Amino acid sequence: MIWKKQGYNICFAVIVLILALMPLFLSVGMISSSSFVLFIGKCMAYAIVAIGLDLIWGYTGILSLGHGLYFALGGYAMAMFLKLQATNGQITSFMQTGGMTELPLVWKPFLSTPLAMVLTIAVPAVLAGVIGYFIFRNRIKGVYFSIISQALTWAAYSLFTGLQSYTGGNVGITEITSIVGSIKGDANRAHMFTLFYASLAILVLIYMLSYYLTHKKFGKLLIAIRDGENRTYFSGYCVSRYKNFIYVLSAIFAAIAGAIFVNFNGSITPTQMTISYSITMVIWVAVGGRGTLVGAVIGAFLINLCDYSFSSGTMVEIWQYILGAIFVVTILFFKGGLVGIVRDQLPELTRKLKHKREAN
Amino acid sequence: MVQFMNTVFNGVSLSSIILLTSLGLAITFGLMRVINMAHGEFLMIGAYMTYVVQNIFAKFLPESVFSLYYFVAILAAFAVTFLLGALMERFIISKLYGREIDSLLATWGISLILQQAARSIFGMQGVNVTAPSFLNGGLEIGGCTFSYNRLFILVMVVACMLLVWYIMYKSNFGKQMRAVMQNRSMAQCMGINSKKVDMITFSFGSGLAGIAGCSVALLGSIDSTIGQSYIVNSFIAVVLGGVGKLIGTVFGSSIIGFASIGIENYTSASIAKAAVLFIVIVVLQFRPQGLFTIKSRKLDE
Repeated sequence: MIWKKQGYNICFAVIVLILALMPLFLSVGMISSSSFVLFIGKCMAYAIVAIGLDLIWGYTGILSLGHGLYFALGGYAMAMFLKLQATNGQITSFMQTGGMTELPLVWKPFLSTPLAMVLTIAVPAVLAGVIGYFIFRNRIKGVYFSIISQALTWAAYSLFTGLQSYTGGNVGITEITSIVGSIKGDANRAHMFTLFYASLAILVLIYMLSYYLTHKKFGKLLIAIRDGENRTYFSGYCVSRYKNFIYVLSAIFAAIAGAIFVNFNGSITPTQMTISYSITMVIWVAVGGRGTLVGAVIGAFLINLCDYSFSSGTMVEIWQYILGAIFVVTILFFKGGLVGIVRDQLPELTRKLKHKREAN
Repeated sequence: MVQFMNTVFNGVSLSSIILLTSLGLAITFGLMRVINMAHGEFLMIGAYMTYVVQNIFAKFLPESVFSLYYFVAILAAFAVTFLLGALMERFIISKLYGREIDSLLATWGISLILQQAARSIFGMQGVNVTAPSFLNGGLEIGGCTFSYNRLFILVMVVACMLLVWYIMYKSNFGKQMRAVMQNRSMAQCMGINSKKVDMITFSFGSGLAGIAGCSVALLGSIDSTIGQSYIVNSFIAVVLGGVGKLIGTVFGSSIIGFASIGIENYTSASIAKAAVLFIVIVVLQFRPQGLFTIKSRKLDE
């Protein structure tokens, strides 16, 4: 009974427990290198974006093909702050190459710690708010929204690569130490785990917030919008406002995830802003199981773990084929993703087998 | 004056390229409401087909007929992408009618596979095609040079437009096609094999992507990402023009083409892209369904 009611939360708790035991695994030697822990840290960031995407796609039915934009904006804001910490407020090398003699105005707010933290969240949130306001007000929805969000990401990408002296162009902002100090190497393990547990705490908080939101009347409304937008309008709800709110919220999640990602990764490049990167995020949610928060988390970890283990050696080429095939098969046959298989298809199968046995 | 002429020609040229890549989309997306994310990869296949046909001609046939390879390439590219489109429609798209967003995602999976296939076969490095000799050089009028390459693409766009227009609005098949798209069950009652119409329509749209790939091959090097670089513009052009109308796509492409070139003259290419997108969003504020729409009283479109 409890399994039926709390199954998703139990799953999530198990994942969190495994993550929390990472330091133990490392000291016992089950994990060979600390770089794997850094990778798991990045996965937690991915899981946060996936939760945000699940909120808008799985629950509300808005497919954004441009969440990489908000992810990267959060990442860039964090990277600008960390870079200035590293250079003591001096201008960076790519600005010098670009012919600048002093810090550009856009970078100045990132000298102060609180302002930088606020901006990391505020910039993507405001951008998403403005765009969402204009798009949802006109009831641009479904695939049209997807195409516009895709185009937006594409425009932002070309802008970021074009403005070389402000953003570092194609190279991005590199050589960053994390917010708690250097996390590379065995000597800095304490730093690494501070960062790791802080990120884990954020992941749990975001999961709890999303769970709370989706299990209230608000969550039911989101599902109502997904399944019958016009009916929801006719019931007297201002759908566009709800849509805009959830869109901004998921943009904020993406920005937070981007900021965490930068800390673990040590650099941010415009690659994180590309369309294909954004759609990869959607793949995580689809494979894990849309419409269930834990599905998004599972998908993000699973796909990235596969990616990590196959991204070297002979498997690289085959992995791309497998990834594409997984995606097609998931969409065609398993609409609910992995969670859906466990929740719907397996019980169905066992019931059928039982029937057969009884009939015999 | 020369400057102005050049700008106009560049605008026309860019618009024609966008239009050529959008024509197939105007059919698959505009008529069938299927977002084919692999459309860009069909374009890539068309471009690679040009490369393959060129190599075959260079190897096995005398040099005197080498320039003719391009016409063979157009046919080959159309045939291959037509077949691929038919296969994709049969096994994937047909299962997803009525689930627009899901068909978008499933075709993205296909596009991942096709891109990787291109990398496995042709390598990571871009390849180049030698333009047929009659396309070298350019036409000089009053101090400006119009390269034959781009003029040829212009001619191809017009030819494709005429072909699409004829098939859609004048032929018997076009009538069936429009009937199925507008009212499927009624069309079926009239004895139209709607499954067959779906399949041929989708394949035709994909085949047009192949032809577009052929012309894009003349413009620069071909690699596995070539489709992605053209496809975003095409999607916006179709959305801006309004789905379901051919004339809308023409206007959508021209607006995007001219606006890009015009803004690029004053600023940089990257700012031009952002500005064009801004224009599109502003236009959609006033006409959310695009510039040209089919009037309908349906609530959920």
